Amino acid sequence: MSEAQLETALTGREAPGDLAIEIRELTTRGMIDLRGDAGDGKFMAAAKDVLGLDLPTAPRTSAAWGEVQALWLSPDQWLILCPRARTEELLAALRQALAQIHSFAVDVSDMRTIIRLEGHAARSVLLKGCSLDLLSPDYAAGTVRRLRFAEIAALLHIVSERPDVLDLYVFRSYADYAWEWFLANGRAVAAIQPFGQQAVPAV
Amino acid sequence: MLIVHCPVCGAEGDETDFHYGGEAHIRRPATQDPTTVSDAAQRDYLFMRRNPKGLHFERWRCDRGCGKWFHAVRDTVTMDFKATYGITELPPRELMEAASGEWAAFFKDKLDAAKPSRKGKSS
Repeated sequence: MSEAQLETALTGREAPGDLAIEIRELTTRGMIDLRGDAGDGKFMAAAKDVLGLDLPTAPRTSAAWGEVQALWLSPDQWLILCPRARTEELLAALRQALAQIHSFAVDVSDMRTIIRLEGHAARSVLLKGCSLDLLSPDYAAGTVRRLRFAEIAALLHIVSERPDVLDLYVFRSYADYAWEWFLANGRAVAAIQPFGQQAVPAV
Repeated sequence: MLIVHCPVCGAEGDETDFHYGGEAHIRRPATQDPTTVSDAAQRDYLFMRRNPKGLHFERWRCDRGCGKWFHAVRDTVTMDFKATYGITELPPRELMEAASGEWAAFFKDKLDAAKPSRKGKSS
C-alpha cells in the first residue's frame, strides 16, 4: 500500500523569472476556523489560554504570538494560523477548552491555498484585480481583509511593508486560476501606475 | 459604481464587494398565530414592495468582506448612499424624518415613539 501524501493545489508550479513580483505557494501552514461570541468573556479567555494571544476584536486586524496567528474575519469569526504539523494538537486543545462554550473550531487547512506575493510591485499588481485602495495607509502591516479579487472571493493579509509581503488566500479550487492570473498580470511590462499618466512599455 | 460602507467591519468598497438584499424593515405579520393572518396581509408581506423616488431603505450584505447583513439608506435619484446602520437598528432620525411617501408613513409611529415623553414629568 502506498502512503497518503499531502499534495497542495499548486504542487510543482514555479513562477517564471520575469514577473514583477515574486509569487510562491505557502504549503506548511495549518488553518483553523474559529467562531464564537467576542462579547463572551469565557470564550475569549479560553481561546487566549490555548492560543496565547488575545483574539483581535477590531475589524480587519490580526494578532500573533510565536508561531500562532489569528486573523479577524468577522465579529464572530477568526482564522487561526499555525504550522501544519501543530494543527491537530492545537485544534484538540481548542475543542477541549471550548467544550462548554457556544462556539466551534474546525480544521480548514486544506480549504484555502495561500499565495505569497513579495516585492515592491505586489500592491500595484494586486490592484489590477480588486477595487480596494491598497495604497492608502489603511492597508498597513497586519491588516486583514476579505475581498473580491479577480472576480473570486479571497482573503488578503498584509504581512509586512517595505518590502511588501502579502498573503493572498483563495479557495483551493480557485488556486490554479489565481496562479495563472498572476502569471498573466504580474509581468514587469504590464506594471500600471495606479494614478496619473500610464507608463508606456518599451516596445 | 456605488461606493458602500459596511457599518460592521468598517470596510469601504464598491458594490461588487457587497450584495443587495431587497427592501428593509419588512415585518412578518402575526408570527404567533399564522391562522389569524388575512390573505391581504400575507400578500403584502410577500409581494408588495415600495418603489420610491428619493430615499429608500434597503438591506445589503458585506458579501466579500465580513459576511454580515446591514441596512442602508440610498437615494434612488442620485444613487448616493446616505447612511448605513446595523441590521437590528432603525435609521438615523434625520433620515427617517427626510423620508417621503410610504416610507414617511412607515416611520411616523417610530418617530413618535422615539420622541421624549413629557407625560409624568413633574414640574
